[in-house]
Amino acid sequence: MYKYFTNIYETVNTLWTGMRITFRHMIHIKRDNVTLQYPEERWPRPERNIGFDHKDYNVIRSRLHVDIDDCIGCLKCERVCPVDCITINTIKTPTRGEDISEVNHTGETSNGTKKAMVVSRFTIDMSECCYCNLCVYPCPEECIFMVGGPNSSKHPIDYEFSQFDRKDLIYQFAKKLTPDQKKKLESPKPEVEA
Amino acid sequence: MGVVQTDQMVLNIGPQHPSTHGVLRLEVMTDGEIVSQIKPHLGYLHRCFEKHSENVTYEQVIPFTDRCDYLASMNSNFGYVVTMEELMEIKVSDRVEYIRVIMGELNRIASHLLALGVYGLDIGAFTPFLYMLRDRERILDMFEYTCGARLLYNYMWVGGVSHDLPKDFEKICIGFLDYFEPQIEEYNNLLTYNKIFIERTADVGVIPADVAISYGVSGPNLRGSGVNWDVRKDEPYSIYDRFEFDVPIGEGKFGTLGDCFDRYWVRMLEIKESVRILRQALKDLPSGDVHQALPKKIRPPKGSIYRRTESPRGDLGYYIISDGSPIPSRVKMRSPAFTALSCLDEVSKGWMISDVIAILGSLDIVLGEIDR
Repeated sequence: MYKYFTNIYETVNTLWTGMRITFRHMIHIKRDNVTLQYPEERWPRPERNIGFDHKDYNVIRSRLHVDIDDCIGCLKCERVCPVDCITINTIKTPTRGEDISEVNHTGETSNGTKKAMVVSRFTIDMSECCYCNLCVYPCPEECIFMVGGPNSSKHPIDYEFSQFDRKDLIYQFAKKLTPDQKKKLESPKPEVEA
Repeated sequence: MGVVQTDQMVLNIGPQHPSTHGVLRLEVMTDGEIVSQIKPHLGYLHRCFEKHSENVTYEQVIPFTDRCDYLASMNSNFGYVVTMEELMEIKVSDRVEYIRVIMGELNRIASHLLALGVYGLDIGAFTPFLYMLRDRERILDMFEYTCGARLLYNYMWVGGVSHDLPKDFEKICIGFLDYFEPQIEEYNNLLTYNKIFIERTADVGVIPADVAISYGVSGPNLRGSGVNWDVRKDEPYSIYDRFEFDVPIGEGKFGTLGDCFDRYWVRMLEIKESVRILRQALKDLPSGDVHQALPKKIRPPKGSIYRRTESPRGDLGYYIISDGSPIPSRVKMRSPAFTALSCLDEVSKGWMISDVIAILGSLDIVLGEIDR
């Protein structure tokens, strides 16, 4: 009988202790509120630039973006991707560093590297991407990056890129080549033939 | 009239059941409400981690280790890189070691907070869960600040870490610890000392020390049974031998030694010890370059290695066989949650169905790691 009443006492007592804590938080709701009304308010994104060169790499994991004019087609990002969501096709240009205006190919990157390849296909399947950031580190021209953060001047943050169709999540970065243009690029140089 | 079998009933729990902590199916044989046998059915979350690792390079395995124990990805990374560095005989700088310990311990706190909060949720207490997730969120914010990701970090690399700590990380972390330590007392008042919670967990699901050892149970589940075994203390890896911390073991605080409450209580005490380690690590964090020891190409010599580390769930081991190429010949992961689940049948015999939920929650399993 004694046990019965001590049990009731302890239950009520410990429940009261717990309820007091929740009540205290309810009274200080302004101070203790941590909920954010998401579409109206957003967390500030952390801003940092840190990496191998301590300037250009970012630590934001959001949508991948490629500055295709800077891409030299070295395939490093394609090889390092653990889920193979990057596909790159390249065609060798006749002369290194030459502008080919009919396919919108610029000969030099913004870093001054002369390009030897026309990137005819650069697709990233963002529905397969595992956001490991491994493709960003080896890029010699720093043209593939996650948008936002320190890169927000190049491309603003975009972490709400859901789509209704899975096909829309496959991003095409290279300029489309017609079969004629492809054939023309792939044909051997006349000087070599002669 | 035919014979109706009334002595045994098969009850399916899961795979879509909130108390199974993932996609686990339990086939429970019951006699009335008393459980006579439990058959766990695994494999709903199988993603071929080990087979997949044989087709990708060594650095590409790290994002996959993240996805095994997704509640403590830093510790999964930690185990893998420690094993790889031992195999390749890489000596990383002191700063890298300290950063790894800081990240590992922060992730241990985050993982334990979720384990305790969800355990309260299983038992029927909703408020502590929200309070603990609120504080876990602050740890995840720190991770995001450091490496950009909140859950699957790919932060630790073979020979270093991907990014150095941000400028004022130490200040933020100490600020968090100062805020966090009084919160532990609040959790205790909310949940631990609650009479209803004690009644549900004390004396329930006792794992005696010999049973725990024979099933290979490790981590807080083993220490809850009163066995003093912590890989950080007994087989120190990385720089854990430089820190002062205690290994909390269960003592039968409100019931028998090795019951559900002890396993819960050991986790709560471990959070305090992690805070202690964090304070020491932040105090003498050296400066240096975190990319100094990164190898140009990860191509370990022929051979094999097994190393274990202490993840929040217990003994996390990696067995790696290298054939001298950049692709591993075999990566085997010894998962602590898998062995913890194996003793469920033995432990929950004779308990009620509602106690099975309490026992399963106290084992703190993560299905991503069990199925791999």
